[in-house]
Amino acid sequence: MFSTSNLFSPIKLPSQMETHLWYSLPNEIKTESLLSQYVDLLSPLEKDHIFSISSHELQKSALIARALVRTTISRYQIGSQVSPRSLEFKKNAHGKPEVIWQNSDDWHPPPPRLHFNLSHTSSLIACGVTVDSPIGVDVEEKQRTMKNNILSFAKRYFSCEEVELLSAISDPEVQRQEFIKLWTLKEAYVKALGRGFSGAPFNTFTIRFSSMNPDSEDSGIMIVPLENPSDLTTNWQFAQLELGGSHYAAICRESNGGASMKVIVRKTIPLVEEQIISEIN
Amino acid sequence: MASVAGSSTLMASLSCHKPNQALTRASNFNAVSLAINGKSFTSLKLYSAPSRLRISCAAKPETVDKVCGIVRKQLALPEDSAVTGESKFASLGADSLDTVEIVMGLEEEFGISVEEESAQTIATVQDAADLIEKLIEKK
Repeated sequence: MFSTSNLFSPIKLPSQMETHLWYSLPNEIKTESLLSQYVDLLSPLEKDHIFSISSHELQKSALIARALVRTTISRYQIGSQVSPRSLEFKKNAHGKPEVIWQNSDDWHPPPPRLHFNLSHTSSLIACGVTVDSPIGVDVEEKQRTMKNNILSFAKRYFSCEEVELLSAISDPEVQRQEFIKLWTLKEAYVKALGRGFSGAPFNTFTIRFSSMNPDSEDSGIMIVPLENPSDLTTNWQFAQLELGGSHYAAICRESNGGASMKVIVRKTIPLVEEQIISEIN
Repeated sequence: MASVAGSSTLMASLSCHKPNQALTRASNFNAVSLAINGKSFTSLKLYSAPSRLRISCAAKPETVDKVCGIVRKQLALPEDSAVTGESKFASLGADSLDTVEIVMGLEEEFGISVEEESAQTIATVQDAADLIEKLIEKK
């Protein structure tokens, strides 16, 4: 279903049960006039950063990422935040970006708490959006190869249980794919926590797949903290998707009373168009 | 309030322990507002002396070069692409997995162990080189 958005046509917020995932493909965005419009949306600091990137391709992709975040969030039209340019961002202690909602204390009732998280590869940029739940998103190219040996890398950074799971896969190509998917799940989790790789080292928790319960609605992925005591929380749920036929994506958000994650995926060219790809239950 | 002999004040306030901040602040003009005799002078531009500060804390050029090599290889950058101490990993196109692969490559090359907690402090090639030398020193 195509919808040509006329600049900033509003979008309904995700319900508490929903997660929205927006993505853009830099390769499809080429016209200089559109890229200039994106530059116009940025803050001075963002412009400085973009212009400091020497590679044209990387510069374009960084620019699209900022445009995606700003246009996406402003589409939800929260309070007075109607313009992509007016949004302000801050970083938490671990560097996770968050929106600064203007004068939110004055609002009655309080504004909906929109959360977002961005994941950026050179060929695809994704932005997940939720209401009332922190969110982490990670994407990786399906074809991505590792420069290090996969099991060596896993032994260094992942948990023992995860190393065992990967070691048990005899086909190297399947092993590589499962490794990448596992990476995206772990990365999505630590981004949802807001702590990132440094704040929640990957060998302090296992991602465990419980595939044995067909009646269970959720994806059967659970977090198992490995330290005792641990400050890692476990009330999170995951979704795994493929985007554009070319990328693995993982989304992590707070659990929703046992219901599986409902994800609405939209492919977009900021300021131009969007297309609902699928609704995943 | 900064004094006119401001470069020394600025240097004192820039800490070797936070190379990121030092580079970010020192590489631009610092516009400082001075109050002299009750009048305030804005936009007095002071050069802080970044190169002096960096040499006293910074890693050897050979270390920086080795890091650049590992980064180039990981990110499959062409030989002529600009990778220097000031290059930010993110600006070179490194995503999270690339960055950790680079750190693992550095561990193997230099025979060190980089705690995951330290990964957050590494934003540029120079940061990585400085951390490597600190870890080598500790061994």
